[in-house]
Amino acid sequence: MKGYNLGELEELILLTVGILDQEAYGVAILEEIKNQTGRKVNISAIHTVLNRLEEKGFLKSYMGGATEERGGRRKRLFSISATGRAAIEEVKNVRNKLFDQLPPLALDFSHGH
Amino acid sequence: MDTKLKHHPPKWPDRFLEFYCSPSRLEQIQGDAYELFYMNLEERGIRYARFRFLIHVLSFFRWGNIRRSKPSYQTYNQGAMFKNYMKIGWRNLVKQKGTTFISIFGLAAAVGCCLVAYLFIEQVWFKGMHQENKDEIYQITYTAEGENGKTTYGTVAEPISELISDELPNIKAQTRILTDFPVLIHKNESYFQRAQYVDPGYMEMFTYSMLYGYPGALNEPEQVILTEELSTKLFGNTHPIGQDIALITNGEEKLYKVGGVFKSFNDMEMFNFDLLVNMSTHSNENHALPLKDAWASELWTFIQLEKDVDAGSLSTGLAEIVSAQNKINPENPYLSLQLESFNDLVKNSENVERGVVSFLAVAPQILLSAIGIFILILAVFNYINISILMASRRLKEIGVRKVIGSNKGQLIAQFLSENLMVCFMAIVLGLLLAAFIFLPGFNEIASKNIKIDLLNDHLVWMFLGAMLLFITLVSGLYPAIYITSFKPINILKGNQQMGSKSVFTSVLLTFQFTLAIISIVAGVAFVQTNHINANRDWGYDSSDKIIVNVPSSQDYLPLKNKLSALASVIEVSGSQDYVGNWIREEELVFHEEKYEISLLNAEANYPELLDLKLKQGRMFNTELISDTQESVLVNQTFLDELGLIFPLTEKIILDSASYDVVGVVEDFHTIFFQSFIDPMVIRASPDTTFNYLTLKMTSGTAYSSMESVKKIWHEAIPRGLFEGKLQTEVFDREFSDVNGVSNILLFSAILAVVLAALGLFGLVSLNMNSRIKDFCVRKVFGADAGDLSMKLAKRYLIIWGVASVLGGGISIVLVSAFLNTFFAFHSGVGLIPIGLGLLILLLVVAGTVGSQILKIVKANPATILKAE
Repeated sequence: MKGYNLGELEELILLTVGILDQEAYGVAILEEIKNQTGRKVNISAIHTVLNRLEEKGFLKSYMGGATEERGGRRKRLFSISATGRAAIEEVKNVRNKLFDQLPPLALDFSHGH
Repeated sequence: MDTKLKHHPPKWPDRFLEFYCSPSRLEQIQGDAYELFYMNLEERGIRYARFRFLIHVLSFFRWGNIRRSKPSYQTYNQGAMFKNYMKIGWRNLVKQKGTTFISIFGLAAAVGCCLVAYLFIEQVWFKGMHQENKDEIYQITYTAEGENGKTTYGTVAEPISELISDELPNIKAQTRILTDFPVLIHKNESYFQRAQYVDPGYMEMFTYSMLYGYPGALNEPEQVILTEELSTKLFGNTHPIGQDIALITNGEEKLYKVGGVFKSFNDMEMFNFDLLVNMSTHSNENHALPLKDAWASELWTFIQLEKDVDAGSLSTGLAEIVSAQNKINPENPYLSLQLESFNDLVKNSENVERGVVSFLAVAPQILLSAIGIFILILAVFNYINISILMASRRLKEIGVRKVIGSNKGQLIAQFLSENLMVCFMAIVLGLLLAAFIFLPGFNEIASKNIKIDLLNDHLVWMFLGAMLLFITLVSGLYPAIYITSFKPINILKGNQQMGSKSVFTSVLLTFQFTLAIISIVAGVAFVQTNHINANRDWGYDSSDKIIVNVPSSQDYLPLKNKLSALASVIEVSGSQDYVGNWIREEELVFHEEKYEISLLNAEANYPELLDLKLKQGRMFNTELISDTQESVLVNQTFLDELGLIFPLTEKIILDSASYDVVGVVEDFHTIFFQSFIDPMVIRASPDTTFNYLTLKMTSGTAYSSMESVKKIWHEAIPRGLFEGKLQTEVFDREFSDVNGVSNILLFSAILAVVLAALGLFGLVSLNMNSRIKDFCVRKVFGADAGDLSMKLAKRYLIIWGVASVLGGGISIVLVSAFLNTFFAFHSGVGLIPIGLGLLILLLVVAGTVGSQILKIVKANPATILKAE
């Protein structure tokens, strides 16, 4: 196992970027997470994680799409890289593999007696 | 949309974001923050939106987002650049050998002077610093009610040392220390030496390096340890160990063997002595003194504690000793006993009476530091002036560097690093100068034994380091900042005017000239004063007289009779003190007023024998018995101070006996010219014994008779110390002292002039080099050497004029004050010193300018002008 070492928030944001597909930037990710999970994440935390993920090579980014709301400033749009996708899959596989090995709940009761 | 137009994100947080945020991230961060602001604005209103905006801005304030120094800096290789700075600096120095020499030599001389001054100060204030056990050694002192309130004394009652081992815990070693001046006899020669009587514990406490023998030699009571100097004086090259010497204290003679010899001390030692003797052999110890007398005799007592023992733990023991002492010796009750750390002995010396350190030599410290600072200022100013001019030749280099992208900080660093190189060389050279020229000379003059001890003395290293840093910054910072402040465009276009004409340079030069004038005036005035004092009338005839000491009263008459029998002796007279030395002071009552006067007790023939000059009245008549009972002579100052006119109508009262003033003598110098003449009373004493005998010899025989006088003296007193001297020699020591000071002053004056001249030379020649074409063109058009000299010299003559006024004025005040502290009789700051000072400096200006003009006169204008 190569060990991609994704943190919980990193994993969440990486997935959200994947979902948003070409439209992923700070505020959009914030909104998406809020809508999907009900979690309120601080915008600066999102930026930090995005930068970190880009440094690790899981995300790519380019500047684009100025809007009036932003005072004419461009967005930095993120998209998931091949490594990023591999990382999510890896994490998902590991999780599923481990989940499948959980003993059934009933066993707990039998122990109780 | 309306709301958006109306409202904007709050200004200050926004600016703060722009201020701290790294430019590469600003756009996305600011964009997101704005977007969130407008979202919040729509959902929750302006207040909330503004608040959230502030929160966002603050939460973005993270390490990764903060703007750091410009990215180009991060790859900047400091080490490599400094290597290059050094290389360029070195090339520059080598290219300008003359000016480099002026800078380095001047700074080195200054460092040398400052080092000597520092070492002198160090050996006063850091005495005993090299002792290994210094942190564990304490002196026992006591406090008692004295005449002027509470007083602390460095000596304690002698028997206290016997109580120490019983009362005080954790004592590793202890010693009493008593300084005495026994007569030392070796091979029938007697010597006057400073002996320190100590307990054997002394050698455990204090460490000395031995030349011969071993430190334990003192455990044997009949052994002594000598210093190297004394050993050489007594035994020359023969091996000293086991040699016999005798010491006489209080008339008792004791035999000793030499058990060891210390290596020559430098002046860092706390105790000053010629030989160490075991305390148990001192004459006071042998007689079982009555208890009271034993407690009344006091001496220094030192203890050494075990390692890491707190001195405070001894306080109960000390209190016990206090109560014991106060019971036995109620006449002198102690308030308390204290322990004074060995390290504080010098620092606290002012608060302790009868302590180890009694004299801090403040005046020489001030004099030497003043000289050091004078020279340092001169040298640093030289260097500043020269380095500004030198750097002005490198303006193009600076311009190009700036254009390429060096910023001011880097350029300053470059100049300072070159400066550091020069100053480092100056420090090394200064160290050598001090060690091999200045210090030996100073030691000779001041009869000191100061050494530079680089191996053990970390303070010297700190001093040198501080000097290096100080000189580098002081001399380098201004030129570096000045030079680097020009705009590159002006430099490269050639518009930049600079250097030689700057006001700053002129001010520094004026200051230098002023200092040089003051130094010259001080030196010349001192030499002049010495010259005048050497020829000053002492007020009596000192020739053909010999003074000899009389050690004890029973020797007086036999000695006097034997000496009178000598053929060349005309007359002999006894006196309690002798003229040319300290004379005791007494209280005199006149008109029911009290006066402090000097009282010279002597035989009736003493004034006449000494050839004192009678002014009014008569000398003593040796035939008149009444003269030895109720008559005195006074000096003129006596009359002046008391406001009297001879003959006096009233008697004076001395010691409750009344006396007639029968005559007045002219003032004469009993002590050196450093002090005023005190009012003096000469009393024809009825005593039959005196401390000194003065012999009047037949003309011209005084010097040659000294040997025979000494022989006769020793016949009368075989085991005594002969201290005979000529009356003409009584001020010899003082003369050699003031000559020493005058040599130091002359040396510093010469150094100051040389430095000022070198600085001026550097300045003028650099100035000339940049204007040589100007001068050649003038020459072609017919200007003669006079015109050219005036053109070049004008500025320096103005500076000389200003400095003359300043320097002359300051030296009248300063040097007069200085002379006053040294002499009661001096010639003051007259025309000669000031005139000489101004003249010497004028010659320096003329010589410097002249040498440059000569260059022009000799030069062929064609070759110089051809280049373009």
